Amino acid sequence: MNKIKSIFEPLRTINPRTMLLLIVAEAAVALIAWQLSGGGLIPTPDKVVGAIGRIFTMPDFIDNLFASLTLTVKGMVISILIALVISYLSIVPFFQPIARFIVKCRYLTLTGLIFLFTLLTQNGHQLKISLLIFGIVPFFVTSLLSVIEGINKQEYELCTTLRMNSWKTLWEVIIIGRLDQVFEVMRQNFAIAWLMITSVEGLSMSEGGLGVMLIKANKYVQLDVVFGLLVIIFILGMAFDYILGQFRHWLFPYTKLQTR
Amino acid sequence: MNAYTKSHVLLSAENIHLQYGEKVILRDINFQIRNVHREGVHQGQVVALIGRSGLGKTQLFKVLSGLVPPTQGTVRIGADQHPVKAGQVGIVPQNYILFQHRTVYQNLRIGLDHSGVALSEAEKKRIIEDYANTFELIDHLKKYPAQLSGGQRQRVSIIQQVLTGNRFILLDEPFSGLDILMIDKVIELLLKVSTLHEDNTLIVVSHDIENAAAVSDTVWLMGTEEGKVGATIRKEYDLCEMGLAWKPDIRTDPKFVGLIDEIRKGL
Repeated sequence: MNKIKSIFEPLRTINPRTMLLLIVAEAAVALIAWQLSGGGLIPTPDKVVGAIGRIFTMPDFIDNLFASLTLTVKGMVISILIALVISYLSIVPFFQPIARFIVKCRYLTLTGLIFLFTLLTQNGHQLKISLLIFGIVPFFVTSLLSVIEGINKQEYELCTTLRMNSWKTLWEVIIIGRLDQVFEVMRQNFAIAWLMITSVEGLSMSEGGLGVMLIKANKYVQLDVVFGLLVIIFILGMAFDYILGQFRHWLFPYTKLQTR
Repeated sequence: MNAYTKSHVLLSAENIHLQYGEKVILRDINFQIRNVHREGVHQGQVVALIGRSGLGKTQLFKVLSGLVPPTQGTVRIGADQHPVKAGQVGIVPQNYILFQHRTVYQNLRIGLDHSGVALSEAEKKRIIEDYANTFELIDHLKKYPAQLSGGQRQRVSIIQQVLTGNRFILLDEPFSGLDILMIDKVIELLLKVSTLHEDNTLIVVSHDIENAAAVSDTVWLMGTEEGKVGATIRKEYDLCEMGLAWKPDIRTDPKFVGLIDEIRKGL
């Protein structure tokens, strides 16, 4: 009884096993509710599971999946490199206005810029990559700048008392010292890239991708396939999130440690 | 016997005045720390800076270390009394800032790397291990700062500054939040650091009057004066002259107890 009471108590810490049970139970309840309430246009979980099975056997599924993953990873790598350069340069006063402007670009809608990007790029692949980068970089820069702004001033003072010059301080405190947080920023913003991928894929369908599969399934009102693809995209997103998190802990073991 | 002599000035402040906009933080700060000599000991200098919270002790720290230029006046260090430059005075902040992404060994090595002395890797390793042995950190060299206790982090922080070659180290509240046993260890540590080299000079900012005075040879009482804006060093107690310095059982000395009482009343 106390255990049940504890899961409804604010700020109560519960053990990992209870949390796992809670997740499984809540997911089961949601699935049952979905199954019982379905039947009309919205496919029920069993139909979605069946559709997932069919999607896996589609001849172009692996190619489409690979196309989406390649585009996302490529877009992410280029975006993080651009965002890192902008963020590191932002501590030099000359580059601060540029960094601030890029942060504000989060409020620009991509739809209005498609025509411009179509003129500036040579093919569909370039168009997709450019839009993806333009869409992700402002979010990366925003997160990276907040990491830099959050650095305790005493860390810079420590570098000064250790006789480091400003370039060494930049290297030790901002670049090396916050590399683990760059991974965290990547992990958090991967969701944005993954969210955008299906949208930009629709702009040039010749290369395929999960986004193209979604658009086609929507066009023919194959809602079970749409839901199946959404589940696959959701699971892949969570897998990437987990992998990047584990990669961060593996590369930077000190991130797992709690200050006593 | 605690026979001693004092020679040349190691650190001095001349008419230090610090003001942010209209707000006067520090005014008329003048002092001299002279090199203390004792037979058979590499006797360094330890000064306790006592004062109430919010007076500007941390600002004075930053001025003394060259991190913040004073509005007026000059801080001079070394036998040649040149104006202080950032990097010539070490600071050990209250929260013992270390590079969290580096192990204890690497943190200490950074200090040594910037000491200005060309050393081979083997020499650096030997020196670091030597210090780690002396300050009971040898088993923690491979750990990250987050794996250390507060006391251990404090030791790493102090040694890092010592390895940089800084003869002047400012310590902000080194006794804060420690239990009585740990305080004794910190006192032991400060005495050890102060006796590593003749020129080593520690300035300890603390609210803990008794412990700060017990470890020091000079006490500065910081405060404000009636009708004047900004904090200054109101009184200096020369504990060497008073016969109260370098005594392990000083806390039981009635003269010391009287002094602590006097400082407390003067705050």
